[in-house]
Amino acid sequence: MSLLALILGVSTFAQESPRVQSPMPELPVSLPGWLSNRGADALFYKAAPYNWAINRIPAFAKDMYATSVGHAMAYEALVTGKSQELESKTFVTIDRVLKNPPSNPIDEAEISPRFVQKYGYLEKVFDWAHTLHFQTIDVLMHPGWSDTQKEAEIDRLWAFYSSEPYAISGLPTNMEYLDSFPYSGAFRKNYPKVNGLFWGYHWLQTVNYDMLFRVPTADQKPQYALIGQRYHETELYRTDRDFMPMTAEMSPRFARRFPEVTNAFDNLHMLHDNVNDILAQPNLSDSAKQSQVKIAIYRVLASTHRGEKPGEGEPKTLHDHRFPYGMPGMGMMVGSDESSMYMSGMGWMDMSECAHCSIPLPDEGPWGATVSAEGWTMTVRCMMCARDMAAETPGRAIIRAATEDENRLLVMISDEEGNWTSNIKGIVFLEEFGEHPNCSLWSRVFTSRSAFDIFVAKVPELKGAKALSLDQWSKLNYGTPDTYRKLNRPNPYHKDPPIRLRERRDE
Amino acid sequence: MKRILIAILVLLSALAFSHEGDCPYCKLPLVQNTKDQDNEVVVKFGNKRIEYRCVYCVFKDQKRYKTDLIVYAPSEKIGEPVVLKRTAGKWTAPDGAVFLNTFKKHADCAELSRAFSSRAAFDKYVTDKKLIDAKALSLLEFMDLVLKPVGTDK
Repeated sequence: MSLLALILGVSTFAQESPRVQSPMPELPVSLPGWLSNRGADALFYKAAPYNWAINRIPAFAKDMYATSVGHAMAYEALVTGKSQELESKTFVTIDRVLKNPPSNPIDEAEISPRFVQKYGYLEKVFDWAHTLHFQTIDVLMHPGWSDTQKEAEIDRLWAFYSSEPYAISGLPTNMEYLDSFPYSGAFRKNYPKVNGLFWGYHWLQTVNYDMLFRVPTADQKPQYALIGQRYHETELYRTDRDFMPMTAEMSPRFARRFPEVTNAFDNLHMLHDNVNDILAQPNLSDSAKQSQVKIAIYRVLASTHRGEKPGEGEPKTLHDHRFPYGMPGMGMMVGSDESSMYMSGMGWMDMSECAHCSIPLPDEGPWGATVSAEGWTMTVRCMMCARDMAAETPGRAIIRAATEDENRLLVMISDEEGNWTSNIKGIVFLEEFGEHPNCSLWSRVFTSRSAFDIFVAKVPELKGAKALSLDQWSKLNYGTPDTYRKLNRPNPYHKDPPIRLRERRDE
Repeated sequence: MKRILIAILVLLSALAFSHEGDCPYCKLPLVQNTKDQDNEVVVKFGNKRIEYRCVYCVFKDQKRYKTDLIVYAPSEKIGEPVVLKRTAGKWTAPDGAVFLNTFKKHADCAELSRAFSSRAAFDKYVTDKKLIDAKALSLLEFMDLVLKPVGTDK
């Protein structure tokens, strides 16, 4: 091997690393006994004052309730020999429900009786995890508690959830491995429209946590006007995703605070994908499908991984619990290593770095901000990066940012032209442009002029710094920083460009 | 040998980490300005400043914007773009501006979908690039070509 080839080989390691391909799995000897129990086990919400707080944003609540209808209808079609109708009649029916969502939660067994009869044990796992989904949302939307109380309650909810045998693991798991079986990918390939709906639900179910986390309840609803519009107009109908939306991609702040909850949601969603793929196999007998579904459940159960720790495990195996640096709330993805991962629609990213200037995110102090636009959410170091990243992206955007008061999260929403509104009146910006590695020092936001003055007085380099109003600050733009480094590597999910891109290239 | 190795590493590093984003329309990497030629097409409106890969991409993607637009289209002169405006839905260009739109593969769009300040500048570009059958287009002709429905070519 030549020197150049050796170097090229090293530099392109990620793209040359072969995808994991696992054989058809066999039933483990230690399968939990309850997986063979056909009896029902109706678990319900932890009794609490916050239950059903989700209804405080009716549009959001209805959209969430509708997601379970869609799943149930598709599963019923798959187990009753109507898979040929999935992309036509079933899709149209589900879409009608999504456009006219129910006002109350729906009992999936009412919609999918045959599926529940056959796969009742799976429904227990789904139901219990969906309860965690909804109760976590309820806590975050409860108007009567402080952020500290809410976070403590989510920790208790996690313990409550984990106490049942149906609990899914909160460890990060290797998504490449979990999606590597002979049946993997069949559903998304053969039923792209319905799969698009499913991944659209997962987008909604994962994007909402940062919409709510540490956000005052009065400031939650305005964000859903934008998020709900995006969900209905775009995310539900996307068929160009490489992989399901991951919670840490959509809600990075929540994922850093609650990695176990976040990982459980991703493992749940991966279980959904596995089940879709298994049920869509024309060559598997009913009995074989039952076995494969049980194995898929086993893979993600908390009991299967008892005693194992995040950050450990043999790479690309069932017990690989490594995670990308800076993001314990997400397992390893196709092509990823500890420092980089491929995000569908955004390309290769390093989650420990600012998405706009590529400088490492600070370990301590205010965490900076997140920018949500075009369906993605990215973490940035400073307010300048947040504004300029939003300004270079078409469409409306949301910035959620740390202020000097850790109990007051700034939520700003922009219109199509980049005009911002803020949840905090009288906010003041500091932006004394300097060396970008120090941007988190000289580009900040404060809840008041007095807070600005106190901060500036403590930092000699900022002497004479001007306090900017929201309007003044909004009009600034420094473009893409010189420090920004785009990781130019091929999409690990495709040898060829995505179909959409190929079509455009051929125009 | 050590020097060669360092030079190769520097070269590879530059290749792997260019300062690029992706075009909002075609999703291909934006082409950055070079010392010889500007390439960044910038659309400005309100507080937004959005970069495109070529003029073609801007016109194909314009429907998403409801407001007036200013487009800074790179020309033959460094730092002197051809400024296009969309005001109340009507596009205008400076007198004498000429457009090229002759790419067959979208990967070539940044080179072959461009604006020029004059016919003379267009002719020089076409000659330098040895482009055969390149037609100088007015703004209206360019828009007609780019925006006509797919499948009505020739």
